[in-house]
Amino acid sequence: MNRSISWMKYMALAAVLVLVLSGCGATGNSNSAVQASGGEQSAGQAEGGNLTYALATSPDTLDPHRSGLAVTVRAIRTIYDNLVVQLPDGSIKPWLAKEWSVSEDGKSYTFKLREDVKFHDGTPFNAEAVKFNLDRVIDPATKAANSLALIRPYSSSEVIDEYTIKVNLEQPSQAFLGNLSQALLGIVSPTAAKKYGDQLGKNPVGTGPYTFVKWDENADIVVAKNKDYNWAPATVENAGAPHIDTITFKIVPEEATRIGSVQSKQVLAAETVPPQNIAALKTDPNQQLLQANTVGLPYTLFFNLRKAPWDDVKVRQAVQSAVDVESIVKTLYLGNYERAWSALSPGILGYDASLEGSINPDINKANQLLDEQGWVKGADGIREKDGKKLTLHYVDGSPNREKRNDIAAIIQQQLKQVGIAVEVEITKDVATVIYQNWDYDLYGNSQVNSDPNALYAFYHTSAEGERPTLSGLSDPKIDKLLEQGAVETDPDKRVDIYNQIQQYLIEQAVILPIYVFPYTVAASKSVQGIKFDSLGYPLFNDVRIQP
Amino acid sequence: MVQTILTRLATSLLVIFGASVLVYCIMYLLPGDPVLLMLDPSSATPEMIENLRVQLGLDQPFYIQFANYFSDMLRGDFGKSMINSDPVLPKILEHFPATLALTALSSIIAITIGITLGVLSAIHRNGVIDFIARLVGLFGISMPTFWTGILLILLFSVQLGWFPAMGSDGFSSLVLPAATLGLVGAGFIVRMVRNSMLEVVNEPFIVALRAKGLSQRTIMYGHALRNALIPAVTVIGMLIGDLLAGTVVVETVFSRQGIGRIIADALMAKDLPVVQGVVFFTAMIYVVLNLLVDISYAYIDPRVRRAVRT
Repeated sequence: MNRSISWMKYMALAAVLVLVLSGCGATGNSNSAVQASGGEQSAGQAEGGNLTYALATSPDTLDPHRSGLAVTVRAIRTIYDNLVVQLPDGSIKPWLAKEWSVSEDGKSYTFKLREDVKFHDGTPFNAEAVKFNLDRVIDPATKAANSLALIRPYSSSEVIDEYTIKVNLEQPSQAFLGNLSQALLGIVSPTAAKKYGDQLGKNPVGTGPYTFVKWDENADIVVAKNKDYNWAPATVENAGAPHIDTITFKIVPEEATRIGSVQSKQVLAAETVPPQNIAALKTDPNQQLLQANTVGLPYTLFFNLRKAPWDDVKVRQAVQSAVDVESIVKTLYLGNYERAWSALSPGILGYDASLEGSINPDINKANQLLDEQGWVKGADGIREKDGKKLTLHYVDGSPNREKRNDIAAIIQQQLKQVGIAVEVEITKDVATVIYQNWDYDLYGNSQVNSDPNALYAFYHTSAEGERPTLSGLSDPKIDKLLEQGAVETDPDKRVDIYNQIQQYLIEQAVILPIYVFPYTVAASKSVQGIKFDSLGYPLFNDVRIQP
Repeated sequence: MVQTILTRLATSLLVIFGASVLVYCIMYLLPGDPVLLMLDPSSATPEMIENLRVQLGLDQPFYIQFANYFSDMLRGDFGKSMINSDPVLPKILEHFPATLALTALSSIIAITIGITLGVLSAIHRNGVIDFIARLVGLFGISMPTFWTGILLILLFSVQLGWFPAMGSDGFSSLVLPAATLGLVGAGFIVRMVRNSMLEVVNEPFIVALRAKGLSQRTIMYGHALRNALIPAVTVIGMLIGDLLAGTVVVETVFSRQGIGRIIADALMAKDLPVVQGVVFFTAMIYVVLNLLVDISYAYIDPRVRRAVRT
C-alpha cells in the first residue's frame, strides 16, 4: 500500500517536472527570440552581425584538396583564396597572382604573386607556398579527390624568386587556368598542412576573407571576419575585410526543417530550396529568393554504349524520342528548373544554344525505330528480339536528391508506352555498381565545372587498363576534337570545336540531358549582398545584415 | 539476486560479443569497396587505390582483419573514421550526451502520457476520455516519426514560433524532437497499460478487494495499477531501446547532433570503423537497459522477487 502510494508520487512528480520543463522551454525560447531581435537592432549600422546560413548536407572535410563535395565549396570559399578568378563571362582575372604569362608551347605558366598576403596563421604567402600546394595535390599521400582531376596535366613547378613561380604542364591545357580558379584548388597554409597532416580538414588555414573558428560535427561550422583581408577578387565589390563579423553554417539535411528554420527566423538564409517551396517564398514579404544556375555539365543521363542493345544508335534514338524531358522537368520542378538541351549547361564557353528545341518527343518515331531494328512487341507489351526482352537497367545513386528518383519513375512509365521495360535500381554504392562492375544501361550524373574541357572525362576513349568513361563512347573523331579543344588557344575555334561535340552527342543520342540545376537560396530581406561566382557558388564578401 | 545479476552480466557480455561479430560480418560481406568510396572513383589511379587498401589493412584475410579489430577494441581503440580520420570512440562519447538527453526526455514524455492516459482510459472505459486516449495511442503508433516531426516544426516553430526548428543548443531545441519521439512511445504504452488494466480489473483478487469494501480509487491506483505495470515495464524497457533507434530519424529531421546522426552518415558512407563502434556502443546500452528492466521486475512484483530468492 505504502509502496503504491510512493509510485503515484513519483508519477505525479514526473508529470509536474515535464510541465515545468516544457514551460521553461517556452520562456527560454521567447527570451532567446528577444535577444536575437535585439542583436539585429544593434547590427543596424550594417556593419557586424552574424549570418546564419543553413547547408543541405555536411561538408566532408574543410581541406579543399581532399574534398569531393560541392557543399564543401560553400564553406571553404570563405577560408581560402585562389591564384586566379574566373568572371561570369569566362575571362580569367588576377587574385593571389597579380599577372602571368604563358610559354609559347603552352606548357608552362609563370605567375607573379601578390606580396602583401599572409595566411591566417601568419605564414607568408609566396612562391614556396604555391609550389607546396600544387605538389600537395598530386602527392598520393594527400589522398586528393576532385582537386586531382582539376590540376591535371600539372607536372611540376619551379620557384623563380620569392614572388614568382613557374608552373609546368605535361601538355598544354586551355582548362588549366580556369581550373586554378576553382575552390578545390584553394591555397592552404603550408605550415598548417605540415602540422595537421590529414587533420587539416578540421583545422583549415588559408588566406581568405574569413578565418576558421570551429566545426561541431553535424551541427555547425563557424568562420569569423579576417580583419587583415585586402585582396578580394573581381567577382565581389568589397576588396577589404567583410562587413559582418561571423558566418555560422548550420547543417540541416531535412528540407522541410531547413525551410522551416528560415521561415521561423532561426536562420537568416538557407540553401537548396525545394521547388514546391519556391512559389510560397517568392510571395513572402519577409523573404527573398536568390537563384544562380550552376555551370558545367547539367544533370545528364548517360547510356552505357558498351552494353547491347544500347550500342545501337537507333535504339538510343528511340529512347530519346520516347522520353518527354519537357514534361518531366515541368512536372517535377514546377517551372523552377530550366530544361537542359546539351551536354553542357548554358553560361559555359562553347555552349551550343542552337540545340535548344532540337529534340522533341515523338512516340511514332520511337516505335518506328524499334520496329526497324527488329524489336517486336510481345504479349505483355514489352518488345523482344531473339527471345530477349528489351529492358533498360536505370541506376540512380542518390536517395532522391533533386527528385532524381522521380525522374527515373516517370521515364519508366514513358518508355513502357513504346515497349521498353525499365528496371530502376537506387543505390548509394555507385562506386561498385557503376565504376567497378559497369552494370547499368542508363545512369545520371552532373558536374560543376568552369571549362568545356569537362567533357573530356566523360566522352574521350579511356586508355587501356583505365576505368571506362560513363558513356563508354569511343569515337576517334570525338577523341580528336576533345584533344584539340583542350589545347586550342583561339576562343572562336574552341567554341566551334565544342559545338561540334555537343551536336554529335545529341545526334548520336549518347546522352539524355535533363535539367540545369539552379542553386537557390531563401534569405531574410535583412540580408544583402550574397553574390554568386561563375559556377553558382555563394560569395559572402559583400554581405551586410540590415536592421 | 546477486547471482542472477552475475549470470545476466555474463550472458550480456556474450550478447555484446555476438553483436560485434555479426556487424563485422555484415559490413564485410556487403557489396562495395570502402576504398573506392573514400577516393573519388573518377580521378583516383589504381595505384592510389591499392596503396590505401594496404594502408588500411584491407588486403589481409577476413579472420586477421577481425582479430585485429577485436583486440584493438578490447584495448579501447575503436579505430579511426575512414572518411575524416577522426578517432571513433571520442567521437561517440562526444555525441552521446545529446542522444542520451533526447532519449531521456522522450522516455519521460512517453511514460507520463502513456501511463496517465492508459489508466484513465481503462477506468473510463468506452467513455470520452477512453476515446481520446485511444486516438492518441493510434496516432503515436501509426504516424511515421519524420512526419510527426515536420508537423510539429510547422506548428510550433514556423506558425507559433515557440521552439526552434532545429539545432542542439539548449533545452528549448530539445522539446520538439523529444515530443516527436515521446508521442510514438506514448502510443505503445497507452495501449499496453489500458489492456493490462482491463485484464487485471476482472481478476478474482480485485473482486475480493471490492467485497472487502475498499474504495474504487484505492483499488484502481493501489492494487490494479501496480499489477498492470508489470507488463508495461517490459514494454517501456524495450521502448527505450526503440527510442534510441528512433533518434536516427529524429536527429536528422531536427538537425541535432547525436550518435543517431553519426551512424546514419557512417552507413551512407560505408565508414566501417564508425558503424562498428556505434553498434558496439549501442549494443552495450541495450544490454544494460535489459538488465535494469529485469531488476525492476523484482522490485515491482513480489512474486518475481521471491522466485529469485529461492
